[in-house]
Amino acid sequence: MEIVALHQISPDQVILWSRGFITLNVTILYTWIVMLILVGGSWLITRNLSSDINVSRWQHLLEVVISIIRGEISEMTKRDADSYIPLIGTLFLFICVSNVLVIVPGFVAPTSSITTTAALATCVFIAVPFYGVSRNGIIHYVKEYFQPTFIFFPFHVMGEISRTLALTVRLFGNIMSHEKVIGILLAVTPLLFPVIMQILGLLIGVIQAYIFAILSMVYIASALSAEDDFQEEVKKEGSSA
Amino acid sequence: MHIDWFVLFCQIFNFLLLMYLLKRFLYGRIIKAMDDREAKIAARFAEAEELKIKANESAELYDKRNQLLTEKSEQMLNEATVAAEAKRKELMEKVREDVDQIKERWQDMLTREQEAFFHDLRQRASRQIYATARRALTDLADGNLEERIVNVFIRRIRELDKVESEEIRKAISSGGNRVVVQSAFGVSEEMRKQIEDALKKQITNDFTIRYMMEPEIVSGIELRVNGHKIAWSLNDYLDTLVENLTETLQREAQAVS
Repeated sequence: MEIVALHQISPDQVILWSRGFITLNVTILYTWIVMLILVGGSWLITRNLSSDINVSRWQHLLEVVISIIRGEISEMTKRDADSYIPLIGTLFLFICVSNVLVIVPGFVAPTSSITTTAALATCVFIAVPFYGVSRNGIIHYVKEYFQPTFIFFPFHVMGEISRTLALTVRLFGNIMSHEKVIGILLAVTPLLFPVIMQILGLLIGVIQAYIFAILSMVYIASALSAEDDFQEEVKKEGSSA
Repeated sequence: MHIDWFVLFCQIFNFLLLMYLLKRFLYGRIIKAMDDREAKIAARFAEAEELKIKANESAELYDKRNQLLTEKSEQMLNEATVAAEAKRKELMEKVREDVDQIKERWQDMLTREQEAFFHDLRQRASRQIYATARRALTDLADGNLEERIVNVFIRRIRELDKVESEEIRKAISSGGNRVVVQSAFGVSEEMRKQIEDALKKQITNDFTIRYMMEPEIVSGIELRVNGHKIAWSLNDYLDTLVENLTETLQREAQAVS
């Protein structure tokens, strides 16, 4: 039984319950399932953490994942990664788990809904100025939009919006199209070939999660690098004076 | 395809909630565990480093102590060697002294034995010579040996020069005018008279004379007066004999050694 019909482009269209403007669709349901898996798994693993040398294999797994995310963020921002781990790590884990669970029959990836990807991209869209302003101060952050001259302001704004849109559509397009391709392939060649495509789908899912997280970090880092430039300028002025 | 705004906000809320929950249950705990482990490992490394430093310090300390002990033992050994050498020298010196003393005692004993031997020899020789001379004189010259000896003695008194005579006279007067004549044999009255005449003629009239038999005066006669002496005996000949004999013995001993 297919939850999302082939002609339905998004799981948003499968509404389970609604009253007025409050709607409970498949996307929200599967989002909750993913959240439950992530939070429940984390809670189960982290309830008996050990800071000794002997640790459980699940703890090892989580430590490896967190260490990789930390490493990537540190490499990009050249500073302490712990402030960005909740956002970037959650983006990566949520998208990755959503995409990977597609392999489970009957599971619908929330990321195949443009609403979910738009929500994630919106979070990044808000997070960029949030981190930029919290580090730089609002004046220096806004100043960046008028660099090198004020004429560039609309282009900066357009850039911000377009990259958010790109994030949204890239993830949505990849996952949604993959699901549709699998559906069509099942109809055309029901044996073997869809399995290979599923395996490829896993790879694509992980890569898309990585790309989304990395791009988000790049956007945040670009907002932070303005702070570094500013500080370097201040230092130069101080030394020359 | 449209975007349901409620669903969008719902998803944003869901994502923020997930972020919070993961931060609470995953990142915070895992990062804390990792940091704790890192801190523990760092502490262990620091402890190891500290122990290493302590070990190095201890090793240096022991090296120093060892060196000191070696130096001390060498010093003690040197001192002991010096003390042993001094002791050896002391003992050698003592042994040498002991040997010298023994040698000296032995030489004394030897000398005494030699003297005793020569004394005995002298006595025997003198008696023998005296007997022989006496018999030879009786057989060949029909003379008395004692008489000859007294004659020689009287001639010696007569041959005294003035100075000697004067000295003896003074000695007689200071010694209470007593003159003692000692001889190994008995002197006859006639001879006594001749002696007294000679003394009176050569030295003085004022004296009293006394004759004594003294076997020690080997075949001779002598006049003693307060430190002065006029005598004749075989002693001179015997001395020469002893001297020659000693020389011969020594030559023999050297030849043997």
